[in-house]
Amino acid sequence: MLRGLEACPRHLLVCEKSSFLHEKSRHSALVQSHYYNCSVSLLLPECASLPEHIKRTVDNFGRYYLVRNLPLHEFVKEDFINTFVKKGAFYALTYRTRIDQDNSAALLPTGKLILSVDKDTYEELGLQGKPSLYSGKNPLRYIIKIDLTEEGLAPGGKKFQRLNWAFTEKKPLKCDFLLAWDNTGAPSILSYFCKYTVKECNFKITSRISRDLPCPVLKSGDLHGKPEESCSSEELFDWLGAVSNSIDCDNDSSNFISAFCCPHPNTMVERAHLCTINGFVTPENIQRLLDQLREYFAEPKLTQWVSLIVHGFADSPVSWKECEHGFFKGGENLYSVVVFNNQDYWLQMAVGTHDGCPP
Amino acid sequence: MAVFVDLNITNCKDVKKLQNMIEMAAHLGYSTVAINHVFEFESKKMEIGKPISTKELFSTLPTVQGKSIPIKILTRLTIIASDPSHCNVLRSTSPSTRLYDIVAVFPKTEKLFHAACTSIDVDLICINVTEKAPFFFRRPPINAAIQRGIFFELVYTPAIKDSTLRRYTISNALSLMQVCKGKNIIISSGAERALEMRGPYDIATLGLLFGLTEGVAKAAVSTNCRSAVLHGETRKTAFGVVYTVKKTCLEEEEAEPVCKKAKKS
Amino acid sequence: MDPMHGRMREQPKLAGPTSYERIVLKNPSEHHYMKVQLEFNGEGAQLSATQFKLLVVSALKNLHGEVGSSLPLDLLSFDEKTLCAVLRVCSRGLVKLWSSLTLLGHYKNHECSIRVIQTSPFLLALAGNSRELDLE
Repeated sequence: MLRGLEACPRHLLVCEKSSFLHEKSRHSALVQSHYYNCSVSLLLPECASLPEHIKRTVDNFGRYYLVRNLPLHEFVKEDFINTFVKKGAFYALTYRTRIDQDNSAALLPTGKLILSVDKDTYEELGLQGKPSLYSGKNPLRYIIKIDLTEEGLAPGGKKFQRLNWAFTEKKPLKCDFLLAWDNTGAPSILSYFCKYTVKECNFKITSRISRDLPCPVLKSGDLHGKPEESCSSEELFDWLGAVSNSIDCDNDSSNFISAFCCPHPNTMVERAHLCTINGFVTPENIQRLLDQLREYFAEPKLTQWVSLIVHGFADSPVSWKECEHGFFKGGENLYSVVVFNNQDYWLQMAVGTHDGCPP
Repeated sequence: MAVFVDLNITNCKDVKKLQNMIEMAAHLGYSTVAINHVFEFESKKMEIGKPISTKELFSTLPTVQGKSIPIKILTRLTIIASDPSHCNVLRSTSPSTRLYDIVAVFPKTEKLFHAACTSIDVDLICINVTEKAPFFFRRPPINAAIQRGIFFELVYTPAIKDSTLRRYTISNALSLMQVCKGKNIIISSGAERALEMRGPYDIATLGLLFGLTEGVAKAAVSTNCRSAVLHGETRKTAFGVVYTVKKTCLEEEEAEPVCKKAKKS
Repeated sequence: MDPMHGRMREQPKLAGPTSYERIVLKNPSEHHYMKVQLEFNGEGAQLSATQFKLLVVSALKNLHGEVGSSLPLDLLSFDEKTLCAVLRVCSRGLVKLWSSLTLLGHYKNHECSIRVIQTSPFLLALAGNSRELDLE
């Protein structure tokens, strides 16, 4: 009894190193398959103000939308599938629903509609699904996956009708949705969903400059670090957390309040610029930002590396690709890319208890 | 994996205080709360009053934090039973108890505990946390209660107020857990003031201290409460004890055919 | 100026791109982090970081005794205005710390409560909480 007192929730951290120049480099694939992101940050050591090309990229993030009480059957309409799903990357995620308590849904840019529903809803819907991986022996949560681009789902077909019937008559599910659409040439979300209350949302951009802070020394070729030579990827990940939360990491071990320290070895940097963009950020926007960060080293810089930090949605039904994601004590799914001046990079992906291993 | 529920917010005459507590519950992320009306018999012929009208408490219900839905308010009756006659109101199909969404009993003696587990028509049995358990928890009645879909309730506010009560809470919870193996437990606040309430994830962690495992501890503030509320609904609509049990079992089994049906399509 | 500072500039760029390597770490974090807020009824009390740390240590001692109160624990940040704090505890001690905070009900003669806003094995995760994304 009371064994649980010393246990801690399971979590995973995956660290990779590679180079943007490698043909098989996976950085794009990993960025593109982490679909739902609530914030992205840039950490630029020794940088006073954002370079113009990066600032422009951030300003061109566009907008995202919040639609109130959108019935799910809107996604299973022929018109919708032809206008959006088959014409580019369309992102939808339920807003203000909690994956450990409520029904949630997400429309992936691949055209897959993923529902995470409680047992009651599952039975009422009568659609085929699988028990959630994290709901134990007597499943109380089910995952339903519907491929909207599938050939068998032709309009008028049996399957199409059944889906429509399930969402309109059997269990008319309605949710608030965050929507993003990465195709400016196509009809706008505002005009397509004009029947509903749609709010156009702007990204919230904040910048902060930390002064005189210790900064870990990194060697792009050595993920594990060596004592007295360079810091490991894990240590860096911890330090990124400290900078992002404005935590002082210049303490003695005898300090009563906190003995938190920057990993060794480190160098003092005069300043570090942290720019954070909050909102419903699409992977396309993150990819553009990452490309600009690679450009950052086109001119010589004081720093050897910069970092991009991305936070996923705690209540998204997926983390990477279609890997099921849940919320236990937290819903961590985040990653950071460290871009080195020689086009090497480090990638760190972290997930919490109810999540699979990042790809 | 259901919404978070606090089935024990102490009713009081001070409406403002009650509103504060419900607002706090919504703020902490509880989607459903029950206002608890406690009845202690002074004379044998005491009438059980009507529950508070939940509709009159708020003109607009507080929104659950992080969601777009309003909080749901239920009513609950708790009978403190120190004499077998006290349970009479529960045995008969008394109209007054049927006005409540949930009915609980707080048995003071072993005999009454046994009766509550095996025969009395209730949804919850309160476990004493403010003194050393006056009787042993024995397996047969507890298993019977689990079979009948009745839940045992532990309240946590006494443990916040006083370190002696904290010891009783933990030790009584641990001895109950040894017998019931973590089955059919709910944890609720029993709060009399808003500041005494704690968030659902906090309580799920506190459950580990009571000897529950992680998943079970989270169920004690969510899934199990949902089952208890469903048990209350069936009690209100059905007239016997036996039927309530059958209904809960049926629901479990129904899951199968629906899946099969879905596969064929 | 720090003598190390110059070194960073002089280091030559590495030759050739680095080779691919992947490490998967299970439960790597030695620490867990908690973002909490102390709440009073109405006015309440003023606290410094030291007083807050003492309050947390005494809560640990009350519930888990001497062993509990000697768990490695750091107060990483504390805002005296909002009474918001970030705590770091060794992973073994997470449940002990959390339950102590839950059962804390008093500070001096004030009724109080510690609200746990977020917890994670990754400090970085505390910087982005999608549950706080408010578009109203």
